Amino acid sequence: MSSVRRWAALTRRELLKLARNPAAIGTSLLLPILYLVLFGQGFNFSSFLSSPYLTPDQRLALLHSNLLGAPDYFSYFSAGMVGFVAVTATLFVGANVIFDKLFGTLKRTSATPATATDIFGARLFAGSIQPVALAFLVLGLAILLGDLGLSGLHITASVSVVGAAEVVVAILLLSVMFASLFLSLGFTIEQPQTYFAVVNAINLPVLLTSAALYPWGAMPVWLQTIASYNPVTLAVWVLRINFFGDTYYTYAAWFYLLGLFAWAVGMFTVATLLTRRALAPRK
Amino acid sequence: MVDAIVAEGLSKTFNGSVKAVDGVSFSVREGEIYGFLGPNGAGKTTTLSLLTAVLGPTAGQATVDGLDVFRHPHDLKQRIGLVFQESTADQDLTGRENLELAAALFGVPLRDTPKRVDYLLSRLALSEASERLVKTYSGGMRRRLELAVGIVHSPRVLFLDEPTLGLDPQGRAGFWKIIQELRQESGMTVFLTTHYLDEADGMCDRIAIIDHGKIVATGTPSELKDRLGGDVVTVRPLGNAAALEPALKALPGVTAVTAQDGTFRVKCPGGDVLIPKIVGAATALGIPIAGISLRRPSLDEVFLEFTGREYREDEGPTATDRAVFLTRFQQSRRGIR
Repeated sequence: MSSVRRWAALTRRELLKLARNPAAIGTSLLLPILYLVLFGQGFNFSSFLSSPYLTPDQRLALLHSNLLGAPDYFSYFSAGMVGFVAVTATLFVGANVIFDKLFGTLKRTSATPATATDIFGARLFAGSIQPVALAFLVLGLAILLGDLGLSGLHITASVSVVGAAEVVVAILLLSVMFASLFLSLGFTIEQPQTYFAVVNAINLPVLLTSAALYPWGAMPVWLQTIASYNPVTLAVWVLRINFFGDTYYTYAAWFYLLGLFAWAVGMFTVATLLTRRALAPRK
Repeated sequence: MVDAIVAEGLSKTFNGSVKAVDGVSFSVREGEIYGFLGPNGAGKTTTLSLLTAVLGPTAGQATVDGLDVFRHPHDLKQRIGLVFQESTADQDLTGRENLELAAALFGVPLRDTPKRVDYLLSRLALSEASERLVKTYSGGMRRRLELAVGIVHSPRVLFLDEPTLGLDPQGRAGFWKIIQELRQESGMTVFLTTHYLDEADGMCDRIAIIDHGKIVATGTPSELKDRLGGDVVTVRPLGNAAALEPALKALPGVTAVTAQDGTFRVKCPGGDVLIPKIVGAATALGIPIAGISLRRPSLDEVFLEFTGREYREDEGPTATDRAVFLTRFQQSRRGIR
């Protein structure tokens, strides 16, 4: 009971801090919004295929094979933005740990009976629900843009309850995985400059080796191989299967969820160990 | 009386070569205010960090409130309060939210939490600011909040690490008044580190002087001063009073008498008791006395005696600060505002 209360109190703290820092939420939202409103509108991959030499059927087949069943690039790419949001929104959880170290707040918490598990668990929970909320905002905005007559997200498959649950679980697992990664960095690294340098060194390669942005059919095979193990790709595939159908996928959505689960558990375990080590009495 | 803190051969070496604490042994009795006095880098904070399980030792053992510090760090944290020298409260939360968080982490029963939080906010004069974010607090308010967080669970032993660092004399006097009152109310043991000599002198029941990681002297402030040979009574007789010197030397308790420029400096423990005897001896010899004064040795001199060097001014408050602090402290003890 006392452990639950400690966890709840620490989570409340994290959520209060988050609510009092709308700039952090705004920054997390700004980048995906810019991608949707500017990049997504300008980089309309579908128009590349409007050749007079292609019949409508050929054009559609070419689109589908490149975009794994998505009706247009924007729809394909907006599902990929969810992966992008999971990375950009969770990186703050690690940064907050470093600032709490600098301001002495973490030292204060460590001097209480709160365990490393309580401290880590509260930050992981608060850090994971934010990207889930942001991801749905991004998806909602992408659909709204289509309704406004711009390029937008067009969901062509009928999403079942199980499918919707798979989408939520995929976003949650991806957020847990990245929140764990950034928390372990936050507990290990002392200086914010070092942290942001390391985060930048991770973010871009993770995104650029995933299928979040590239049309799958346009990727070289070696990149496809790497991307198929990338957790961002796995999450994005779960979304795309549920939004556009599974015709172009080797496995069902649950299989990719399983891979994502393995990533999340692995990173969670590493982060737990590193947090425990960081919060143990210094030898 | 039971010992609340016992340290035996406590050592801490950093990076394999820097000995911050070197075989420190001492005990603190229950209900005592025990001061660790020393210059910057002497090993005060490291010792405190070892006793509160923030650091693991290189060697030695310690118990606090009967618990082995290094075997039961989690249980220990439940029983002790810790006030750091810097502000550690969350600046993005209000004072009340910080206290509620601390109460939850220390396991203060849920139904008792609002009452306890209200009591502490009122007791530490933070009620009016309780709904404000801590980032808007003054230095003194932050210190008081820090103390409130440290005692929210009514700890049996309170550790204070340079708790008044950066406070003005009035703020320091107010802070110590609260500590004295809390100690009287709850009987908790207080272990504090300070490099303010006047604080150690005025607040502590016993003091350990630490230098280069080793304890060089322990005792009550009076005992430490007495080790210097006690008080100095300066006697200024009228006219030629050479006959007075042997009479002074013959008085019981007198350890030394030196004559200079027609005055005598008489060293003895308990100088206030000796003054009537000196007056009596002079009267018996028919020697009139123009003036007589008593000076007790200060902790500055004690520090010099045991560390071999003067207490550096940049490590402590200015002489004016000390005078103002002592005046405020004495006034607050007498209830004068």
